[in-house]
Amino acid sequence: VRKFSTIALLVAFVLPFAARSAAAQAAVPETDADQTLRAMHDEMERARTRLQLPGVDKPFYIEYRLLDIDVRAVTSSFGALISSSNTRNRFMSVDVRVGDYHLDSSNFVSEDGFQGFLGSTGEVGIDHDYNSLRQDLWLSTDQAYKQAVTQMSLKQSFLRSLTKPPEIDDFSQTTPVIKIDPRVEPDWTSRNWDDESRRASAVLRNFPQLNATRVNYYLVYVTYYLMNTEGTIIRSSRNLAAIEAALDTTAGDGMPLHDFYAVYVAKPGDLPDPAAVGKSLAQSGTELMTMRESPIVSDFTGPVLFQGAASGAILAQALAPSLSGARPPLSTMPAFDEMMQRMGGRSEWSGRIGTRVLPASMSLVDDPTLKELNGQALLGNYEIDDEGVKSRRVEIVENGTLKNLLMSRRPGPDFLASNGHARSALLSDTRPLSSNLFLQATGGLNAADLKKKFLEACHDDGHEWCLEIRSMDNPAISSIRQEDFSEFIGAIAGGVASGERIPLVMYRVYVSDGHEEMVRGGHIEGLQLRSLRNISAFGDDQAVFPYMQNPQGGFAGTALGAFGSAQGGIPSTVVAPSLVLDEIEVRGFHGEPRRLPLVEAPPLTK
Amino acid sequence: MAGAACGFLAVAGAAQAPTPATLVAMKEELDRSMAAMSNGDPAAYFISSTVADRQYSEVSGSNGALLTSTETSARWLEVQTRVGTYQLDDTHKLADRQPSWTSPGTSVVIDDDIGVLRREIGRETNRQYRAATEALIKVKTSQQVQVQTAEGNAPDFSREKPHVSVGPRVEIKVDRKPWEEKVRKYTAAFSKSPEVLNSIATFTALGMNQYQVNTEGTQVGFGQVHYRLELYVQSKAPDGMDINRYANFDWLSPKDAPDDKIVFARIQTMIAETEALDKAPLVDPYAGPALLTGRAAAVFFHEVFGHRAEGFRQKDINEGQTFTSKIGEQILPDFISIKDDPTQPALDKQMLLGNYAFDDEGVPAENVPLVDHGVLKTFLMSRSPLVTIPQSNGHGRRQLGFVPVARQGNLIVSSSKAVTNDQLREQLIAMVKSQGKPFGLLIDDIAGGFTFTGRQQPQAFQVLPLVVYKVYADGRPDQLVRGVDIVGTPLVSLTKIVATGDTPDIFNGYCGAESGSVPVSAVAPAILISEMEVQKKETSTDKPPILPPPGHDPEEKGQRQ
Repeated sequence: VRKFSTIALLVAFVLPFAARSAAAQAAVPETDADQTLRAMHDEMERARTRLQLPGVDKPFYIEYRLLDIDVRAVTSSFGALISSSNTRNRFMSVDVRVGDYHLDSSNFVSEDGFQGFLGSTGEVGIDHDYNSLRQDLWLSTDQAYKQAVTQMSLKQSFLRSLTKPPEIDDFSQTTPVIKIDPRVEPDWTSRNWDDESRRASAVLRNFPQLNATRVNYYLVYVTYYLMNTEGTIIRSSRNLAAIEAALDTTAGDGMPLHDFYAVYVAKPGDLPDPAAVGKSLAQSGTELMTMRESPIVSDFTGPVLFQGAASGAILAQALAPSLSGARPPLSTMPAFDEMMQRMGGRSEWSGRIGTRVLPASMSLVDDPTLKELNGQALLGNYEIDDEGVKSRRVEIVENGTLKNLLMSRRPGPDFLASNGHARSALLSDTRPLSSNLFLQATGGLNAADLKKKFLEACHDDGHEWCLEIRSMDNPAISSIRQEDFSEFIGAIAGGVASGERIPLVMYRVYVSDGHEEMVRGGHIEGLQLRSLRNISAFGDDQAVFPYMQNPQGGFAGTALGAFGSAQGGIPSTVVAPSLVLDEIEVRGFHGEPRRLPLVEAPPLTK
Repeated sequence: MAGAACGFLAVAGAAQAPTPATLVAMKEELDRSMAAMSNGDPAAYFISSTVADRQYSEVSGSNGALLTSTETSARWLEVQTRVGTYQLDDTHKLADRQPSWTSPGTSVVIDDDIGVLRREIGRETNRQYRAATEALIKVKTSQQVQVQTAEGNAPDFSREKPHVSVGPRVEIKVDRKPWEEKVRKYTAAFSKSPEVLNSIATFTALGMNQYQVNTEGTQVGFGQVHYRLELYVQSKAPDGMDINRYANFDWLSPKDAPDDKIVFARIQTMIAETEALDKAPLVDPYAGPALLTGRAAAVFFHEVFGHRAEGFRQKDINEGQTFTSKIGEQILPDFISIKDDPTQPALDKQMLLGNYAFDDEGVPAENVPLVDHGVLKTFLMSRSPLVTIPQSNGHGRRQLGFVPVARQGNLIVSSSKAVTNDQLREQLIAMVKSQGKPFGLLIDDIAGGFTFTGRQQPQAFQVLPLVVYKVYADGRPDQLVRGVDIVGTPLVSLTKIVATGDTPDIFNGYCGAESGSVPVSAVAPAILISEMEVQKKETSTDKPPILPPPGHDPEEKGQRQ
């Protein structure tokens, strides 16, 4: 076993995608050389029956999670290769709980962390063998048990100091699931990914004004193993293939500008060929060149039309933190609570079941069981969640009224039981997250009527023009350098609670004749969850917005909090109609643009 | 362009090989940028760029199974753009503030597409120039309000002669399959001992070609190859104290790889030491004579002397500055001399890992006599000068992605008062008797910042004795003890060296400090110290595992495969 911390940066992860539907089997097929489940079973059995410190309770729950990942990652720029790698790793995570379902050692944050010498997580051998995995699980289970005992005693003494300890259970019961899918062995030979990435990115040589570009191919095969002492046994295969590209340039006045392109499919073989990718990249390039020449937007408050993909991106940002019904952990540190509040990590919908949260014409559904919509694949599809619970469709909002929340096995004030929405990446703690989130509405307008209504609202509000947003920025993909990303964090960190949103492609639409003009440099302020009650019109379209959901809790409610990249994000979609929101505040660019580069970029001649 | 070819990797006598296309492109971009930026406001007075082509293979195993097996190629670009003057520029260290962070580089194309490479260099140069101009404003502002320290008057950058030298390219070809088998076998051998809780074996192969150009006319290209095998085991004593043992093998050519026999012998030694340490009693507080074997002494000198001789520490008021004003003074016994000589590739056919031709600022490596018969002569210098030492001596080093500072290369300790190791042991016993002590200490292994345990973080100056024996005056066999912690400043011990052995020992490792992890060697004979004070180390409260190892569980015989 190798400690997690030393390698965490090397590899990134992806979780549920296209979980395969095979009939549940009670045991591993005899022809299967994979000893993983057998090693997990034998070590778990030994721990369940014999692991006990003198005078202390035995564990009441043990859970082993193991992730087997095989990644092919290729990056090119302007037709030349920047990096190309193929890595295989296996990681384990062990959870041991003492106490009982009502009060256990989890859901508690204290200053006194347990200092184990190896920890309950780590990198394990990739041979699928029996002996080394048992050795690694043995050490991790031992550490996790001792950690649980320590946590339990700290938690109990903390609870005694409270006048009214929380009455919500720590852990909900569920039906065990056994589902052992065949292993899927990666095949990297069918296509030459180095070459494809070169050829696709070469198209961008035709844009001399681009400063830098990165075209990333990220192909991953994942086998996820889960076993617990309640009888759940899972082996499932989850694959993902992604192309993510970033383009950046500088406008004539020094304003840095960027654009991105992303495509996600279930299998490497389903990725578009280099000619098709090149064509899409050229579109992004052309769009960015237009943006470069476009005027800077001035301050504006009024109706804004969010076209399909942009409305999906806005919903992903604004809704995400409030969909979870799980209770927050108990904490001995007021600073921690405060930080959670500031980061927007608390659900605004928790405790508001039965109240109006959206316009009465609208419903919100999360459905991980759906594989596709009108022939378009839905990335958020999975059969079993990361706690081994069968996935379920959840009607969150019905006709504007809040009915349900997304649940993992961590109960909350409104609901106890899991509805199969525990998701995670990199074996991190599972959290209730959306999968395929649908904003459904009856009586949507067709595109022409929606635009007409939008312009009428614009006119009534006394404007010469209003803004239409076609896509929103995703800093996890569009920042080429870590430094750009840090700048982005610096720019919006203060705006987490103020609902700051960064549009990517934005047009002015003129009331007089409906003509459109691209503008640049603006951001939205104050677009909060409650702003969604001001939806004044919506389309009859159903745009699928695929994205990689950020598994981390920080910066909740912002683009940073919502979006990740294929490396480490959780495959998700939002399906939503185009939306017109009233009283949106857009702030134009007010800073001083940085000086232009002193030296012009050299031409891209060979 | 001035400067003669120098450095031992250049092909002597032969006609100059054609300049690699990469170097040509770097030079062209450098000239183009300097033409504009030297007329900018503020003006750049110096630009350098470095391209490092890195081939790296890693095969790692644990507890009998393969952990990872990977191969990567990457090209890293660094550009430094200095604005202001040699005396005062954007890098000037502000007393109370860390310089604003800018990454000194970026990864660039590995394909030989010169057009794209030039584009990346141009972009990076502009970025660094912009960062430098912003930094210079801060420096100038703070200059007006802050009191200057003496070393604050030292220039920010030294003037160096240009060097032109292009050596042959190196390339490595690694078949990882046999190593995958080896790391499985090696770690499986450790699992035979129930005391070994965890074992890791890692094979790495590195082939790197580095090119550097600067506006002073330096143009160098050189290659480095390094193969390494590391073994690491973890255990726990019954009271919960962490026990770990580490071993490494380093070689330059595939044919010199250690054969299995040697590795398995080392594994057996490590197991034996682990099992003995698990059972060994804790040390009691003690003050008295101590003998450090060569290997332990080498680590000791690297940590407690070598780091303090790094030039940049003398400039920084946050540093201890132990030696800052001691040049010309006696700091060690007069029979001890110390040099740092990166130009030396090997000692007695054993490779020295701190060998290099040019440092990471394009300055040729120099053999630097640091201590001559106990007298401190100079410091290890990068291009960040001191008032008294205006020039670099070729020790500006860094890990890719860090800014170079003065670092050690091959630190070599020699002695004019050497006796055989057997005689040294006799002297220890005699000293124990004359001081009226029941025993002395024999320190055989020390962990420091450049041994495996602390490699992730800069841990300069730290020393932790790992293998320590009590050597009894009455002839009883030596007794292994554990939990030894050196009391007080280890530096004091160096002044109490009374004699040394006659056989130098080598420790090769990677040293982590301010400019990242760099390969270094330390060479020293065994040393006898008249007095060292030790105490019990605080132990971990994390007890050994509750259940026996699954492969050694009497209740589970027959389960193992």
